[in-house]
Amino acid sequence: MTEIQAGAGVAGEATPDQVPAIELDEVVKEYVSHGEVVQAVKGVSMTIGEGEFFSLLGPSGCGKTTSMRMIAGFEEPTKGVVRLHGQDVTNVPPNKRDVNMVFQSYALFPHMNVWDNVAFGLKRKKVPDGEVRRRVGEMLEIVDLVGREKRRPREMSGGQQQRVALARALVNRPRALLLDEPLGALDLKLRQHMQIELKRIQREVGITFVYVTHDQSEALTMSDRIAVMNDGLVEQLAGPREIYERPATKFVAGFIGTSNLLSGVARAVNGSSAVLALGPEDRVIVPIKEAVAEGDTVELTVRPEKIMISTERPEGDLSMVEGTVSEVVYLGTYNSYAVALAGGAEITVFQQNVHDSTTTAERGDTVWLSWQPQHSYALQ
Amino acid sequence: MSNPSTPDPSFLRGLTQRRLGRRDAFRVAGFSAAGLALAACGVKGKGVARPTTSAQAQSEVEKYWAGKVKNGHVDFANWPLYMDPDHPELKKFTEQTGITVTYKEVIQETTSWFAKIQPQLAAGQSIDYDLMVVTNSIQLTQLIKLGYLVPLDHEKLPNFTKNVGERYKNESFDPGNVFTVPYASGMTGIAYNPKYIDTPPTSYAALWDPKYKGKVGMMSDSQEIANFGMFMLGIDPEKSTPADWEKAAEKLRQQRDSGIVRKYYDQSYIDPLAKGDIWLCQAWSGDVFQKNLSDGTDLKFVIPDEGATIWTDNFMIPKTAANPVDAITLIDFFYEPTIAASMAEYINYVPPVPAAQEIIRADAAKATGQDKKTLEMIADSPLVFPSPEVYAKLRTYRTLADATEQKKFEGIFQPITTS
Amino acid sequence: MSRVRAALTPYALIFPGGVWLAIFFVVPTVVMLSLSLQSGNVADGFVFTWNWQSYVDGLTNYHDQIIRSLAYGLAATLIQIVIGFPVAYWIAFKGGRHKSVYLFLLLLPFLVSFVLRTISWQFLLSDNGMLLGPLKDLGLLPHDFRVLATPYAVIGGLAYNFLPFMVLPMYVALERIDPRVLEAANDLYANKFQTFIRVVFPLSLPGVFAGVLMTFVPATSDYVNASVLGGTNTTMIGNVIQNQYLVTQDYPTASALSFTLMALLLIGIFAYAKALGTEDVLEVAAR
Repeated sequence: MTEIQAGAGVAGEATPDQVPAIELDEVVKEYVSHGEVVQAVKGVSMTIGEGEFFSLLGPSGCGKTTSMRMIAGFEEPTKGVVRLHGQDVTNVPPNKRDVNMVFQSYALFPHMNVWDNVAFGLKRKKVPDGEVRRRVGEMLEIVDLVGREKRRPREMSGGQQQRVALARALVNRPRALLLDEPLGALDLKLRQHMQIELKRIQREVGITFVYVTHDQSEALTMSDRIAVMNDGLVEQLAGPREIYERPATKFVAGFIGTSNLLSGVARAVNGSSAVLALGPEDRVIVPIKEAVAEGDTVELTVRPEKIMISTERPEGDLSMVEGTVSEVVYLGTYNSYAVALAGGAEITVFQQNVHDSTTTAERGDTVWLSWQPQHSYALQ
Repeated sequence: MSNPSTPDPSFLRGLTQRRLGRRDAFRVAGFSAAGLALAACGVKGKGVARPTTSAQAQSEVEKYWAGKVKNGHVDFANWPLYMDPDHPELKKFTEQTGITVTYKEVIQETTSWFAKIQPQLAAGQSIDYDLMVVTNSIQLTQLIKLGYLVPLDHEKLPNFTKNVGERYKNESFDPGNVFTVPYASGMTGIAYNPKYIDTPPTSYAALWDPKYKGKVGMMSDSQEIANFGMFMLGIDPEKSTPADWEKAAEKLRQQRDSGIVRKYYDQSYIDPLAKGDIWLCQAWSGDVFQKNLSDGTDLKFVIPDEGATIWTDNFMIPKTAANPVDAITLIDFFYEPTIAASMAEYINYVPPVPAAQEIIRADAAKATGQDKKTLEMIADSPLVFPSPEVYAKLRTYRTLADATEQKKFEGIFQPITTS
Repeated sequence: MSRVRAALTPYALIFPGGVWLAIFFVVPTVVMLSLSLQSGNVADGFVFTWNWQSYVDGLTNYHDQIIRSLAYGLAATLIQIVIGFPVAYWIAFKGGRHKSVYLFLLLLPFLVSFVLRTISWQFLLSDNGMLLGPLKDLGLLPHDFRVLATPYAVIGGLAYNFLPFMVLPMYVALERIDPRVLEAANDLYANKFQTFIRVVFPLSLPGVFAGVLMTFVPATSDYVNASVLGGTNTTMIGNVIQNQYLVTQDYPTASALSFTLMALLLIGIFAYAKALGTEDVLEVAAR
């Protein structure tokens, strides 16, 4: 799998003259489990800019949490270097690193009240009492917990505990804040609210956030950039739009949102695009990045909302395929169609209910699906 | 010094063999059970006038034994390892009489045994035993006073009349053997380990000698230490008065407070003596003898010049026994000289039948090797067959007349050991 | 019908235990209380006479032993905390996959009877035994040095005999600490020592509290260790009570002493709970 460096033209990238907040350089982490060496992280490099909201996204076991724990210092890389603001911290213990973490289950100190939890780090750093009071007070204001200073963690709701955890980390003004699935335990409503809150707080404090999640919508909503990880490697590192619109690999395409995958043999290649052979009446044109020869099989992906559905063969320079509607689902703001192609592939199409709530086609109808060629991408 | 890789055999033996439980050993066991049993049942007792004249005694005996018949079985409660584990004597008894015997080693200590049977006897219920062996003690006196024992019919005890030595008859705690007859006797004297002590102690003064500071063992039993305190002061314990007790207690306190006494032991004194934790101590004769025989130790037992006490474990039949005739038949069987000899050969305590000595000598003559040596040793031992000179120095325990006297006595001596 | 059943279920659940406690705890306690106020003797019987004299006698004659028992119990408990905590800590945090094996090893000696275990100390600590003998032979200890028949032997025996009851609750408390909480402390600039003092130890306190209760009470009322390992002037109140019951057969005094001990221990426990802020500590334990 190709490794994708933070390339030029990517949103939110660190400007070259600025020292990046966090750098992972060819980092490998191996464990010995039941006598066997397991690679949790297989060689990951990434550069996270100052003030960036950076997400590590991937399914469980992909190495995202291990990568974060290496940044925090809880794990030592087997190979590679971790730098914080240009300084090699590969072997520096967590308490000597100027980053703080918000844990998945918050890991609040159960025997301390809210105030003592939040003040813990400052006291360890021997910050003068007056300043501790001032900063803890300020931080509780930011996270909206004023008046609950004497509460014990277990007397608070999940959302409140979450905010304590956030305050406890942020009050130290770390160079970077690491968040390990911090919203995982909250219900949907609260999660959505906290997503906005987190974003607001990040803007307010201006600290680099590294955010680990398996929830793609969360990553897309909040992040400046996202590293999509799978099986210990970074599959794609780019801004949310890029990741969504131009998934670099089949894995990314499948993991982010709903994708349709089609494959066909290149019938004609014309510099930046190829024409694929599908059904006899079909016409599929796809932009290509790498050299493709005639006769090669090309896989392409196109998002369901980019596809138009019609009973007539459409006009114009569109890609188009013919198929039979196998399922129609009414979803309020849009309808979802499942269309079976002659070749066996099934395509999902979302159609907004712009005019009225009648459907364009019924189950069993023969329909045409069409999309702008630039909305489809050949996968490597 | 013991080899660390192999446990000291005497240690293991001490854990598994007969020391656990004889006489007052291991008061720790059975404490709660006994205490609670008593508490739960409530404690009731009632003094019964002891027959004062022989005529009265005789009528009591006749009243009890009238109509009692042999049932062919007897339940016998005794101390652990107070008989050859194969029970050859009991087998012979069954052969001769047809009476079967269920033998149980259920008596661990006088005090807890008393606590266990007292509520049942008070309620007139069976204790499941027809025959038991109890040391002369406060508890034995109480059993008699409370009327829990069967008056013995001496006509059913011809061997006792014929074979038992005069000094085991008519003892102060039961004159005329109205309720009890002897099982075996032993002496309380001084035992020492010659490995550490060059000049054999001949007087109680050795136990007060500061040069043995921290190496002297005394007994935790109030009567035992009281006797030693009194012998030390030249008082005959048998005839002692409360004023004598106070004097003896003062002597014993001084011995304790000057650090001479290491510890007040129950029967567990024998192993520390063999190991050298203590060099000399109060001891029971049979213990020393058996320890030497079984472990090859060379412990010595002396009867000090001032004298010593002899105690007796006694047969008795509880009032609620189901098979008294079978029980008394078995008692008398033990006084056949061959049986008494056979018993002494195993338990090494003083048999009440003097004729046993000659029989053991005869057995020794027939035996060979180690057996011969052992039997000769037993036959010649002054501890199994005390000589007349030894007997002359022996006294029995002070019999405490009533609860008030008992309380006074314990009140004086118990605080010494439970300091 | 089912509502009735549901309402009765809690009572049904508590019934066997309740009956058990009523018969084997409440009744004997009441009987013992009654006994302590009776007068008389075994031979003539005991009569209830509101005889408070047994309490006066018991306290007058045996206050030394009562104070000594409390002191020994306290000393043994402190030793157990010092020895037991590292053990519990190590098993909880470093035991890895073999935790249960280590716990089993910890308990292994305690499958042997309490009395035998104590007697084995007699063997180990004998004046010329396998521990002291070589040291004396090497001239490292004077020849009249001894451990047995001293207060140290008794306290050591007490500390040893009740050790699992200290270690196990501490282990349970330590084991349930979320490792992420320790990481959080570490992340918030606490070094190992600070993490221990500020987080691990406070979170283990419910276990220590339970351990102290489970060891101090039985250690204080114990009589086996004093009788097996002690010498003169090491008698504990348990030995006195036992003696009063079985030897002197002065049941009222024995009962009065038992009650006095029970009262002292209860007062001690409540004071201790109060001082530690039980509710707070137990709340943490309940998490």
